[in-house]
Amino acid sequence: MSNNSIAVEITEVSKRYGYLQALKSVSLEIGASEFLVFSGHNGAGKTTLLKIIATHISPSSGTVKIFGADAFKNGGETRRRIGLVTHESFLYDELTVRENLLFYAKLFGAGEEDFLATVDFLGLKRWYNVRVKQLSHGLRKRADIVRALIHNPDLILLDEPFSGLDTKTCDVLVDYFKSHEGKGKTLLISSHSLEWSKKICDKGILLDKGKIVGEMTF
Amino acid sequence: MKNIRSGEFQRAALGVAEKDLRTEFRRSYEILSILSFSVGSILICSFAWSGSGGGGVTDPEVAGAALWVILFFSSILVFTTSFTREADRGTLGGLKTLPCSSLAILFGKIIYGTALLFFVECVLIPFSIIFLNIELGTRFPALLLVCFLGAIGLAFAGSFVSGLVMFSEGKTLLLSFLLIPVCMPVLIPSVMATKKIVSGSGIAEVIPELRLLIAFLFLITAIMVLTFEFVLEE
Repeated sequence: MSNNSIAVEITEVSKRYGYLQALKSVSLEIGASEFLVFSGHNGAGKTTLLKIIATHISPSSGTVKIFGADAFKNGGETRRRIGLVTHESFLYDELTVRENLLFYAKLFGAGEEDFLATVDFLGLKRWYNVRVKQLSHGLRKRADIVRALIHNPDLILLDEPFSGLDTKTCDVLVDYFKSHEGKGKTLLISSHSLEWSKKICDKGILLDKGKIVGEMTF
Repeated sequence: MKNIRSGEFQRAALGVAEKDLRTEFRRSYEILSILSFSVGSILICSFAWSGSGGGGVTDPEVAGAALWVILFFSSILVFTTSFTREADRGTLGGLKTLPCSSLAILFGKIIYGTALLFFVECVLIPFSIIFLNIELGTRFPALLLVCFLGAIGLAFAGSFVSGLVMFSEGKTLLLSFLLIPVCMPVLIPSVMATKKIVSGSGIAEVIPELRLLIAFLFLITAIMVLTFEFVLEE
């Protein structure tokens, strides 16, 4: 594969938190436009792997390349191409949905017109000028997804995107992410349950105790 | 700082500061508690020391010390809401997704801290002049300069320490303890300069103290540039 066709290239990546070895020499190549899920039990290392790909934490050893460039040497440029949604919301309670999105948009050099369609698609129009602290968990998650995709990233990382959501919201998210297929986007989901992820992804990687132990095709 | 494009650093810092100020003013009870602490403290000092300098005027040493002790404790209240609140609420992760250097985020926090301390000073200085019965005359701009430069120094030190302790247990206590030694190079020249101005000296006589304050700003900026990239990582 040429560099352009590889979205993520992980080589011998390990991560240690004190005495805890979260990842053990993980090597992986993920092609551009792939929709892939990392699965495994709690503590398997899924979130750590996703956070390392997102450049949120650096590995104890090993290298990570995003679209051919060293992720940590070009942190700012790498983050321009990544959209990350975690189980924690990155939105500010005191600000409205619009103010939150404008804050992130401004720093990514995007404008309001760049995310209004996503706001509409995810059914947030009614809540657009409501403070985030007044939103339910599902609505907050939708707003967080708009926040992550505000700069039209090529690599979308979702950590447990369906946890705690009702069926209707999960359906909305599945429809939304399915609509990205064939548009050159790479989607990585971390989830301990495959029920919803299987509807979006065509491939899965199984992690256990910080190691890749298997691959799945759906 | 390879990832700093021209103008992007400034845009990121101002964006973070604007967001923080907007958030802070939506939580008006926090600002009100800082203001009520400042005003209440000045009133207590006024009852205790008014006239200690003779003729109903407060002793310049006491006035300078009172002003900076109150400002220092107000700054502790300001910086407990800087990085530590981001870490507690999980929104720090959002700042890490931004395509800017962590130094730009820190400077955003410094601008936010400076703006809040200026706001506190705008209330504190007139109250001090009235209730401590300080006679300044034409030396008022000199006092303002010292107070604003001192506030900038406190904002640099406070934001940096707030970033250093944000992942620690007991971070609020740690912040208060660490701020005392780190802020000494700001507090000593500020108190000395304030004392001189209140005693009748002009701006020319406080230039050595102002030089010390500016030297501290250069020093702490150099430390921040060298170290802060590693601070944001858990």
